[in-house]
Formats: sequence, structure tokens, C-alpha cells
Amino acid sequence: MNLNSKEDLEEDRMKVNKEDSMKIEDLKKLSNEGIENIPSVERRQFMQFGLAITGVFLGGTVLSLTSAKNVESAVSGGKILDGDYPYNPHYTMVIREKHCIDCEKCLDACRSTNNVSLHGYRTDILERSVPKAPGERERIFMPILCNHCNRPPCVRVCPTRATFKDKINGIVRMDITKCIGCKTCMAACPYNARFFDEEIRAIDKCNFCYDTRLKESNGKITACAAACPANVRVFGDLTNPETPAYKLIHSSGKVFWVLRPELNSMPNVFYVEK
Amino acid sequence: MILEKKIDSKFLTFGPQEMIFVVLAIISVIGLSFGAHALLVGHDNVFGTSREIPWGLLISPYVFFACLSTGLCIVLSLGQIFNIKVFKPIINRTAFLSLVTMATGLLCITIELENPWRVPFFALLSPHPASNIWWKTTIYSLFMIFMVFNLLSLFMKNEKRARIFSIIALITVTLGNLNMNSDMAILGGRGFWSENYMPLYFLTLSTLTGCAAILLFTWVANIFNKETSTEAEDNALRATARLFMFLLFGLLYFTGMKIMGGFYPEFTKNPEAMYLLVQDDFAPNFWIGEVILAVILPLFLVLVSRGRNKGLLAIAGISCLVGTFTLYYHLVIVGQLIPHYFQFNVVDLPQFYSYTPSLHEIMITVGAIFFFLAAFVLGEILFKKINFGK
Repeated sequence: MNLNSKEDLEEDRMKVNKEDSMKIEDLKKLSNEGIENIPSVERRQFMQFGLAITGVFLGGTVLSLTSAKNVESAVSGGKILDGDYPYNPHYTMVIREKHCIDCEKCLDACRSTNNVSLHGYRTDILERSVPKAPGERERIFMPILCNHCNRPPCVRVCPTRATFKDKINGIVRMDITKCIGCKTCMAACPYNARFFDEEIRAIDKCNFCYDTRLKESNGKITACAAACPANVRVFGDLTNPETPAYKLIHSSGKVFWVLRPELNSMPNVFYVEK
Repeated sequence: MILEKKIDSKFLTFGPQEMIFVVLAIISVIGLSFGAHALLVGHDNVFGTSREIPWGLLISPYVFFACLSTGLCIVLSLGQIFNIKVFKPIINRTAFLSLVTMATGLLCITIELENPWRVPFFALLSPHPASNIWWKTTIYSLFMIFMVFNLLSLFMKNEKRARIFSIIALITVTLGNLNMNSDMAILGGRGFWSENYMPLYFLTLSTLTGCAAILLFTWVANIFNKETSTEAEDNALRATARLFMFLLFGLLYFTGMKIMGGFYPEFTKNPEAMYLLVQDDFAPNFWIGEVILAVILPLFLVLVSRGRNKGLLAIAGISCLVGTFTLYYHLVIVGQLIPHYFQFNVVDLPQFYSYTPSLHEIMITVGAIFFFLAAFVLGEILFKKINFGK
């Protein structure tokens, strides 16, 4: 039996080798697919490599007095969460995207609580039409707001520290008296989360209701989260495992994501399906 | 005392040259008064900028003039710092042009700010060294001071001291130029500005425009002053034209890279913006401005004139300056037109945002350009009257 089986195995191996060699011959006949089908990130890294060899690559920082790490991160993929929360409390908002019905109560609550000018908005809801199956699309409402990034591009570019990251709770806030109105933070924000308010002659943006609710209620909940009837916006503290926000993104098997992770800005607004 | 000695007795005369200055100054004031109005009523009411496109037309003249100033300072350094004799006859005019172009650039960016009066206070009281803008503003302001001292030293015929100030000015303005591109490159949230070749590109463009301005304004100055240029000046222009031609080939390479990026996405980090620039809405601007006016026509004229026909060189210079202005406009605007959430299948989100400069923005730009022209003419008048450097 053993001998037979060995012979059988040898025979099978020969067959496989023959088939393999056939495949290689077939493959040789195929035309080159070119680089069009390589994923864009790989293509870009390849190009960067090529430019480095030819000496054209100068890293974007030669003699520049500040580094340009964000640029490089744009081609390197980017982190979402590294499990290290540098602030205490480390405020976050988890968006349960598929619960949103676009009632806009959050938008009204934000505007009335924070006296947001009619010329702009601090938060918005985008309507998405996402392919679900061939010929079928799904309608999803995606609330957006300032992501209070751990590496905020807007803070980095501000020449007068008018916008800054709160050292205690990590909220990206504004000191409107220092704003010179250069709007570089608006150009730098990947989330379109800022606008120039002519009434206060400064940039306005979401601050997780820091001055209107958080300070008074000792960090409980933002106006938009409180107003949401479907519990879409879950505000919480990532250093406190008891908060629903923490549980939503730390439960086993739960898929969560952030917007535009390739920029490596480490946002603190997370999205889950339900 | 020295000033008094050098001032000509005809200092207070008012002739056709002074009249040209007055006309240019009046147009400049009219244009810049739109800036004062914008400051009063708020930019949202009179500018074409928006939440999505926060940087508009006015950033382009700022970048243009600041880079032009850098280029002029680099060309100035060839004669003044590196002692290349052939460039020495154009030192005075180049130094002056470098100063007034920087002043024009800073004027543009000041008007572009919503609260410019806060800059001197908070740039000093609350500086942010991680911000390229803070460095850039500080460096360019220092550059102006060094260049003023350079000019004064040249005027007093103290060449050694002038050379020291020129060296410091060259270092500062080069740092400023590299921060200029980093300022844009760190805005990783937007397409277009993080291309790897940016530092080299900015320095090439700056020096190129510097050469173009020298070719143009030396010719204009000769006509304006009704003078024929000396042989030494002609040699300096020929040397500048050679450098100009060399840099045009450099720009041709970078423009080729852009075209490749526009047609083949694998050659760029910003395929959407490059497509918009090379093949879509901005294509006429790109091919006429960035390709023909900035590179092809000047290169053709320089080659045809062999660096000898000053009129053709001046046309090459103005063509290149107009072309590079369009280039800077594209650099500022096109990257911003890619919607933030374009990859999210958002309903009713346009494929590209749109931006059109408003009347106020156009008039302020015109005002700034005429400010520069008026300053140039004033310089020619004054330097002739006070016998500058002779």
C-alpha cells in the first residue's frame, strides 16, 4: 500500500510539474500588463524611488526650517489608532453611520448652542450613494465635523498659535483674538471643518462644545450628540473603558474607520456601521 | 552730507518721467483702494474665495513677486558676492528690483489677510516656529531690511559692507523661498503641492523670473532714460540671457513632468489635479500660459536673438513673466479645486470645486503690479538724480 501510494504521489507530482510548466509557457505568451494596474500607492512609491535615484527627489524640506512629515505620510498609508491616548480625558466621537436618518437635529443644536454664524457651519451631514451590489446602491448619511486630530495639520500651519491643541483634553480650539485671517488652517484641513466667520473676524470650528457645554457639565456630552434621536453621535473619553464611545471601537470584531487615514493626521472621530 | 553732495540740482524738476510715475501711482492707489474696501466689509462679501477655496488670486502675486525677488537676489549674488565681473554692471538695478518686488509681494499678502493689523503683535508675542508661514514672513521682512542696507552701502560706495549684507540677504531669501514651497507642501490635505520636485522647481522658477525681469527692465530703463546701453551692460545682458536659456531648459523639464502627470497618473501624486490642469478646464491656461508663454516662446526668442537683440530678449522676458504668473496661479488654485470628500461617493458633490476671481481681487492684483511699476520708475528717476553708484 505504501509503495503504491508513493508511486501515486510521484505520478501526481509529475502531473503537477507538467501542468506548471504548461502554465509558465502560457504565461510567457501573455502580453505585459503594464504599470497601470498597480495600486496607486505602490505606483507613487515606485515613482518616488525613481526620483530619488535620479536626484530630483529633495524631500520637500531642503533647508526648510520645518519638516514636512505629513507629505510623506500621504504616500505611506497612515495610522488610525496606535492604542496610546496622550490626553486625559481624551475626547472622541464615534459616528454610528447607518443609524443616521439626516434629521439634522444635530446641526440645529450645534448652531443654537454655539451661536454659529449663518455664513458657515461647524458640522454637516453628507449624503452618500454607495455601491452595494451590481446595479444596486445604498444611501448612507455621513455626519462630518472637526476630527480633532492628534497631529492636526491646521495647528501645525498657524503662524500665531491662534488655533491650538488643548494640552489636557486634545480638543483643537481657537483663540480668536490671535487669528490674523490667513486661512492657511482652512487650506490645510483635510475635512473642510473650518470657516472664516466675518462676524467675529476669525476662524470658527467645532470644539466639542468646549466653551458652551463641556466646561459647565464637566465633560459629559456635546450638543449634537445630545440632540441626536438615533444615538448616531456617541461622544466620550477614550481613556475611560466604561464610556460607550470606548466600547464601540474596542469591542472585539467591530470594524471602525476614520476619514482620510492616508494623511496620518490621527483623527479622533471614528466611524462604525451600527 | 554724502546724500546732499550726490543730489543733483535738478532734483525737484517735474518732467514726462515724473508724469509717468504719477499715472502709475494713481492706478496703483485705485487698485489698492479695493483692498481697503475689502478690509472694511470683509473678504467673504467681495472676494471669490469660499470655505472650500480659502486661497484665491491674491496668493499668486504674492508668490510671484516673492519668488521674483529671490531670483533677482540670486542673480545679484553672481556679481556682488561671487565676483563674476560680467554681472557687475547690473548690480544696482537688480538690487533695487529685488527690494521692490519683495515689498510688492508682502503688500499683496498683507491685503490678502483678514486681520493684518494683528500680525506685528502676535507674530512677536505668540510665534509658532513650527509654522512655515511664520518663518517665511519673518525671513522676508528681515530680507527687506538687509536689502535696504545693501542698497544704502552701494549708494555710499562701500562695496565690502554691501557684499556682507548681500550675502546675508541671499541666505535669508533662499531660506524664505524653500519655506514658501514647504508652506504649500505641508498642506497634505489638498492635492498638488507635495510633489517631490518642489524645492528645485521653486528655485529654478525664481532664478528664471529674476533673469526675465533683468532682461525686460534693463531694456525698459534704457528707453525710459533715453540712454544707449554700455558695452559692459550689453555683456551683462548676454550673460543673463545665457543663464535664462539654461533655466528655460530646466523649466521645460519640469513642465514635461507636469504634462506626463496630466496624461499618465502614475507619474504624479495628484492625478486628479494634474488631469484638471493638463486636460480639463485649465488646459487652455496651461498650454498657453505655462507651456507657450513661460517656456517655448522665450526659448525660441532667446535662441533666435542669440542673446544679442535686446528687444527680443525683453519680449522673451515679459512672455516668461506672464507665463510664470499663470503657473503660480495654477499652483495656488488647481489643487484646491479637488473636493475634500471626492472619494466618498457624496451625492451632489461637484467633480471639482469652482473659483473665479472677483473684481476686488483683480483690481488689487492690478494695483500691486502698478505699485511695482511705479516703484521701478521712481527708482530710475531718483537714482539718475542722485547719481546712484556712479
